Amino acid sequence: MSTTTKARTSSFSRNPLAGPTSQIPGLKPGPNGAVFVSSGIPDLDRILGGGFCLGSLIMVMEDPEAPHHMLLLRNFMAQGLLHNQPLLYGSSSKDPKGFLGTLPNPMSPKDDKPRDRGTEQDKDLRIAWQYKKYSRENQLDSNHEFCSTFDLRKPLERQYFGGKHVDCVSTQDLTLDILLQRCSTFLAQNSRSGSSISCGGRIAIQSFCAPQCGYIDKDWDMLAFIKSLKGLVRASNAVAIITFPHSLLSSSFSKRWQHLADTLLSELAQLLTGYQEMVGFLGIHKVARMNTQVPLVLEATTFSIKLHKRRSLVLECLNQAPIDGASGTSYGTSSSCSTSTKQGSLDF
Amino acid sequence: MAESTCRVLRDGALEGELAPALTIKDSILTPLSFHVFDYVLSQLSSYVLAGKSQSSGMVIVALTRSPSYYVNMLNSGGIDGVSMDKWHVLLQKLKGCGQIGSCPDSSSGVTVFRDVRNLEKLFSAVLELGKGIVGQGKDRFCIAIDSVTELLRDVPLSSLAGLLSNLRSHERVSSLFWLLHSDIHNTSTNAAVEYMSSIVASVESTAQLKSGQQGLFLLEQNLRKAKLRMRLKRRNGRVRLMSEEIHVEQSGVTFTSISSEESVAQTLVPKVHFNLQLSEKEQLDRSKVVLPFEHQEEQNGVATEAEKSGMTENSSRGEIIYLRDSDDERPDSDEDPDDDLDI
Repeated sequence: MSTTTKARTSSFSRNPLAGPTSQIPGLKPGPNGAVFVSSGIPDLDRILGGGFCLGSLIMVMEDPEAPHHMLLLRNFMAQGLLHNQPLLYGSSSKDPKGFLGTLPNPMSPKDDKPRDRGTEQDKDLRIAWQYKKYSRENQLDSNHEFCSTFDLRKPLERQYFGGKHVDCVSTQDLTLDILLQRCSTFLAQNSRSGSSISCGGRIAIQSFCAPQCGYIDKDWDMLAFIKSLKGLVRASNAVAIITFPHSLLSSSFSKRWQHLADTLLSELAQLLTGYQEMVGFLGIHKVARMNTQVPLVLEATTFSIKLHKRRSLVLECLNQAPIDGASGTSYGTSSSCSTSTKQGSLDF
Repeated sequence: MAESTCRVLRDGALEGELAPALTIKDSILTPLSFHVFDYVLSQLSSYVLAGKSQSSGMVIVALTRSPSYYVNMLNSGGIDGVSMDKWHVLLQKLKGCGQIGSCPDSSSGVTVFRDVRNLEKLFSAVLELGKGIVGQGKDRFCIAIDSVTELLRDVPLSSLAGLLSNLRSHERVSSLFWLLHSDIHNTSTNAAVEYMSSIVASVESTAQLKSGQQGLFLLEQNLRKAKLRMRLKRRNGRVRLMSEEIHVEQSGVTFTSISSEESVAQTLVPKVHFNLQLSEKEQLDRSKVVLPFEHQEEQNGVATEAEKSGMTENSSRGEIIYLRDSDDERPDSDEDPDDDLDI
């Protein structure tokens, strides 16, 4: 840190972090002036280095056989509602409001037995630890915690569904222009300019290029929509997540869409006969990095999705190459990872 | 197995969930999908009749075959005219086609739908008919579409996808299934239709065309026998793969499970460059090995120290061969961790 003498070694001085951001629930300041919002899944936040960056576009490549993107969306939307962040949900079905009924409720503290805090509950063992005060002690109120663990079996309580904050739109009959207009009006009414950073809201679009949408043959228009949405989101400090079934696009357009994403996730259905707890795989291909050129290098890019006690979503790093039970071949060779039989390569 | 697929369709949809949808697809080499379709139809009908299924009625959208075919099939399946009110056949009049067969418009259970291109009207007509069968309550009905390929002749893919997804998400629909000829459409259409369904059953040929063989013989064989591969998408995101053989006989279609090398119990051991299994002799030898501290129970006080070279004992017993890393190491160094190694 620079000293207070007149002679400074550089002309740049580090700005103290703005006070308000640490007080707004739901926003967490990160390195390089980035601000994070939570994805609703604690493991995913940790893997991505804090959460979803404000101003970024997250794209999720759907597997036609797996419904895990719905889990991601549910957690994302529920977390936004918990933090009172405005939400716009676009779906390819005729009745998107129905999906809101499936959002999960945060787990109540009495059910939550965290996996890594077993020793604290051990009554006959007292550990005198010098650094205990630096670790997370308080169980904050779930509304003000940055990321809550959601109980997927309980629906979200009515109190979080404030009328003005939540908007639903069905993409089945709309044209892309109208959809873009809806998004921009939603973002305009929520964003504020000025020194205090606020969250412009969350946008979640499910199955963007599903076959029942009228615009699916307009490849270039869809690409333009995504680019415009990305610009809108960046300008108004919001977060947008778009899931799309990538196998229904032509490969060149699928690649273009993947390149447009700031953060790119993909899901994989699970064909295994063993591994009963795993319900699928999540691949992380790109992580958004704001205000820096240094990329985030992950230890692993494929994680298994498990349901802990059938209630909460848990992502775990895979320790060995998954084996395709159907054909009996393994995805990885002994030294490096080769391409799998049908989906893209899984990286470890 | 085809029966488990029929059971999935029979059980239908849970509240707030999409109805299960089956795509039966084939190609020109093995045009047996109609047989599979008939099989699923008759199975579901028997479930409906017995009251075992979630749906209490069925609407058949007949585009390829005439309704009298279905009426006859249901009749021969033991469904007499009294309970025919549970089934309704919706015949879509094909463009440019005259009277189809001898199907009168006024026969019970058959409705002629004339507007080929308007899928929204088809959707509401199907719903109306279905509600007419099962009543206005909460009962559900299932839908069979004779062939999605025929529908795609006239309408764009997005309208068809909209129809299918709206049918699946409607609360009165219990399950639906349809037919698709995959070689008529391009891959994106096939991918889109498969995306809309939760079970995909594809009929493939069993015999490969080898050079020098009579093509006609194989063609004939493919008309009688084929392989059915099914991919079931389950609720939790896991996919189940199944395979069966189809044999077409006089009485109908039979399914037999494949007993060939494909269904060998798949071990989860990965293929690596070293051997993880033990042969018989090795397993036998392993069971004969005396573990380091075991023999102390028998022979008191005989403690053998670690030696520099391997020990040899009677060759009839299994042995542990311990080789030290380097011969210069002193055996009685204080830090020798192998001091109490007792072989």
